[in-house]
Amino acid sequence: MIKYILMAVLFFIALSIGAIMSGKYRRRANFFKALVLICQKLNVEISFSRERLKTLLTSFDDKTKAQLCGLTENYLSFIEKESPLDKQSLFKGITFLKEEEKDLIFLFFRSLGRSDVDSQSKELKNFETRFDDMVSSAVKDNKKYGAMSMKLGIVAGLAAIILLI
Amino acid sequence: MLDKILPKEIYNVLAEKVSFNALNEIRLRADKPIVLSVGGQRYFLGEKGMTGNLKDAIIPSRVMIEDMVFRASECSIYSVNEQIKKGFIVTKGGVRLGLGGDMIEEKGQIKTMTNFSSINIRIPHEIKNCSLPVFNQILRDEKVCNTLIISPPGAGKTTFLRDFICQLSERNYAFNVLVLDERGELDLGKNPSSIGNFADKISFARKKIGFENGIRSLSPNLIVTDELGEEEDLDAVRYAVNCGVNILASAHCDSMENFIKKPSFSKIIEEKVFSRFVLLSMRNGPGTIEGVYNENFSRVTKY
Repeated sequence: MIKYILMAVLFFIALSIGAIMSGKYRRRANFFKALVLICQKLNVEISFSRERLKTLLTSFDDKTKAQLCGLTENYLSFIEKESPLDKQSLFKGITFLKEEEKDLIFLFFRSLGRSDVDSQSKELKNFETRFDDMVSSAVKDNKKYGAMSMKLGIVAGLAAIILLI
Repeated sequence: MLDKILPKEIYNVLAEKVSFNALNEIRLRADKPIVLSVGGQRYFLGEKGMTGNLKDAIIPSRVMIEDMVFRASECSIYSVNEQIKKGFIVTKGGVRLGLGGDMIEEKGQIKTMTNFSSINIRIPHEIKNCSLPVFNQILRDEKVCNTLIISPPGAGKTTFLRDFICQLSERNYAFNVLVLDERGELDLGKNPSSIGNFADKISFARKKIGFENGIRSLSPNLIVTDELGEEEDLDAVRYAVNCGVNILASAHCDSMENFIKKPSFSKIIEEKVFSRFVLLSMRNGPGTIEGVYNENFSRVTKY
């Protein structure tokens, strides 16, 4: 009986590790997609309504905010003067980004609200293009490694069961 | 609002060691000492408060200045760029930040300002009843005379105008007042309103547009506006007066003698559009009333 329970537990652990690894790739893809969406929305809103950043960032839908894993909230706390604008504060709680990706996103947030409408719009378009490239890469990674991680998890689980049998 | 704009270390010194009520201006220049204007006197801001010693003065960096402008725009420069193009930002509460930096021109038009290097923060004050000594000289036969308040910068023109509007409201002179607040300084945005109960407001519009639109849409009896100067402003005044609307406005000048010599005002003086001139100075602090003059520049009252 204990043997069967152990087999089930090992299978579950291997599956979970696979799911976590796969989730990381999916989250990265969604994260960059949400960044592209933010660029597009900010571009439209800034060009037409010229509304303040705080209002714009708080008005994003919950799904986009969730996909950004707290990035907008971290930036809003800089607007509220609760934290400085540095990488450590901006990426608090976000663990799946590479250093060069952080550099680009940090540059994006550092450029927000610093110029007139025309220049801001051009900057947003530029960042949108660069984030688009990241989306393509992250989607490709998700397809390749995301699915592979899940399969590896299952295979590892099954291997553990076979070993125990 | 200043707590949201100023760096913490500067705000704390100002809040703890200097009274905001006494402050008229804070001048911050990149890599130069912070200068405070208090009752017409100038002091440096040191870590222990106001000081006359240059060595003790706090020196802000250019990054600090840039960050303050960014903060004053509520982290959205694009939203106040029309003001920045004119060289200032007005925050909620009527605090005006005059800006120094590099103007960017494109196709002959000012596009924006960058590389901010200095800020002049003007702290608005409500000085209750400051217009009362001349109230009855401006108000004749239940009508407000076309009046120009004349003073050098920082001598209390805006405060005078604001108080006069309030005095009208408090005395239930139910004139429809149009406040043309080109720089967003007249209405401090307080509740109850700092511009009384009978005032409508058009903000951040050029005088020509504000006067024309306001007269058509709001039918005012009196238009109150700050800082007349350009030919276009004076044309707008003529237009209003021809429409039967009275004007209470202000202009920069340090004396009546110099004012009369101002080329831009020569025609309107000749036409006797204004029948009252109130001269303010800083002799006994901002808002000192030096005299009230009629259209012939004879003193109506001496102070």
